[in-house]
Amino acid sequence: MERESVCVLGGGSTKYGKLDDSISDITLQASVGAIESAGIEPKEIEAGYISNVFGVADKQVHLGPVVMSNLGISECPSLSIESACGSGSVSFREAFANVAAGFYDAVLVTGTEKVTHTGTDWTTTYFSYCSDFFYEGQAGASFPGLFASMARAYLHEFNATEEDLASVAVKNHENGVLNPKAHLRKKISIDDVMNSAVVASPLKLYDCCPFSDGASSVILCNEKFAKEHSKDYVKVIGSGRGGSPAALQGREQLTTIPSTKIAAAAAYKMAGITAKDVDFAEVHDCFTVAEVVDSEDLGFFEKGTGATAARNGETKLNGSISINPSGGLKSKGHPIGATGVGQVVEVYEQLTGKSGERTVNDAKIGLTQNFGATGASCAVHVFESV
Amino acid sequence: MCLKVCKLSAKPEFIEAAKAGNILARKCTKCSEILLATVYYCRSCGSKEFEDTILKGTGKVVTYTIMTVPPAGFEELAPYAWVVMELDDSGIRVSGFLGKIPTPEDLPIETPVKITGFDERGIVLEKL
Repeated sequence: MERESVCVLGGGSTKYGKLDDSISDITLQASVGAIESAGIEPKEIEAGYISNVFGVADKQVHLGPVVMSNLGISECPSLSIESACGSGSVSFREAFANVAAGFYDAVLVTGTEKVTHTGTDWTTTYFSYCSDFFYEGQAGASFPGLFASMARAYLHEFNATEEDLASVAVKNHENGVLNPKAHLRKKISIDDVMNSAVVASPLKLYDCCPFSDGASSVILCNEKFAKEHSKDYVKVIGSGRGGSPAALQGREQLTTIPSTKIAAAAAYKMAGITAKDVDFAEVHDCFTVAEVVDSEDLGFFEKGTGATAARNGETKLNGSISINPSGGLKSKGHPIGATGVGQVVEVYEQLTGKSGERTVNDAKIGLTQNFGATGASCAVHVFESV
Repeated sequence: MCLKVCKLSAKPEFIEAAKAGNILARKCTKCSEILLATVYYCRSCGSKEFEDTILKGTGKVVTYTIMTVPPAGFEELAPYAWVVMELDDSGIRVSGFLGKIPTPEDLPIETPVKITGFDERGIVLEKL
């Protein structure tokens, strides 16, 4: 089947952090941002894809019709998609598939989350429901705990130290300082990470991304529609999804995420590129160890060398491969339903000259990787500037 | 014992076995793959014909964390370990709760552990 060429036409985000507005308000704010950035009218949107996990915590599920009604297009069909922390990229993928298949010319893809008002204890507990609860959450494992178990396996298996992992946090905070919408905009040092409170050993507070509120939105359309509206668009040239055993105990190796490898292989194949062609990547660094594992699973570094590469500065802004120029989940923040869409907003801004001080020089190809839970589900997308 | 095609949800039986210190597994009659009893189709060959197998709940620590910021319900139990262990006989991995572990020195990787029960903390482990 001949596919439509699919483009990201505009992007908008709220600030990430502790927000006072309700989930329906921030969802609307990001959506309006994307619509205005794209230079389109709401009535040109043919479908809405909303990604969200814990709307119930802010007394609003079925967010699609609420947002569509407030955009003046209540007749427009919409749906909500939940895939834990990977909800945004999965929703983006479904939107991509529908535009690629020719069902719609233009759609709205908005990710959103509002959890900080529930407090750390309850947020930690809610998030544990994203694990394979019978074996993990029920037995007292939080998400920091699950990734800490992966970190311990990584440190045991490879020549890497807790300081190497800390260097990921330091780098992402450096980038986040340059991002006006980031949640944690402050420089930190290796010592700050090493001296922060242990959350789940060997991970410390500064190895962990924050709980954030926030919403991000993009307009996805076919190329004909894009050309008619703006010169500022980027092409989606690769899309892949994959799965892993839901529980860590079901995986032969604890230092790799199978779904990332499957999704990346599919996305690279569709795009006709290899990892070497990628200029920058927004990856899922919910914990420092996750970025190290991602950077290996995506093919940027050999297995077991990602931590050393991070320590040596290869993943810094305008290093050999810029990873998380936005600041990543670690510094930009992690409103879990929004994160996957927020990564696409960053790539759109990078490839259309809208990313200011954090711009990756001469970038042509950007990648996003966003997973759910400990990588039980994952989507990878590849984008090219026009 | 199941009759060729196993019960769809074997969690009650799995929990009963864990309370007795064992793991209820299923051995695929077609390809001999051994899987936890909470699985319904074989991941290797797709068959759903199994024989129940009781595995002894002893093994070694593969990896773990020590939880100091616990989820709700575990506040009084911290610091405790959440452990992925590999069973001695089959290489099957299961995970569970292991109490009273304050520092990593208390639980080196490959420490022998055993299943001692199942309660509101899921599978409960102890050091051997």
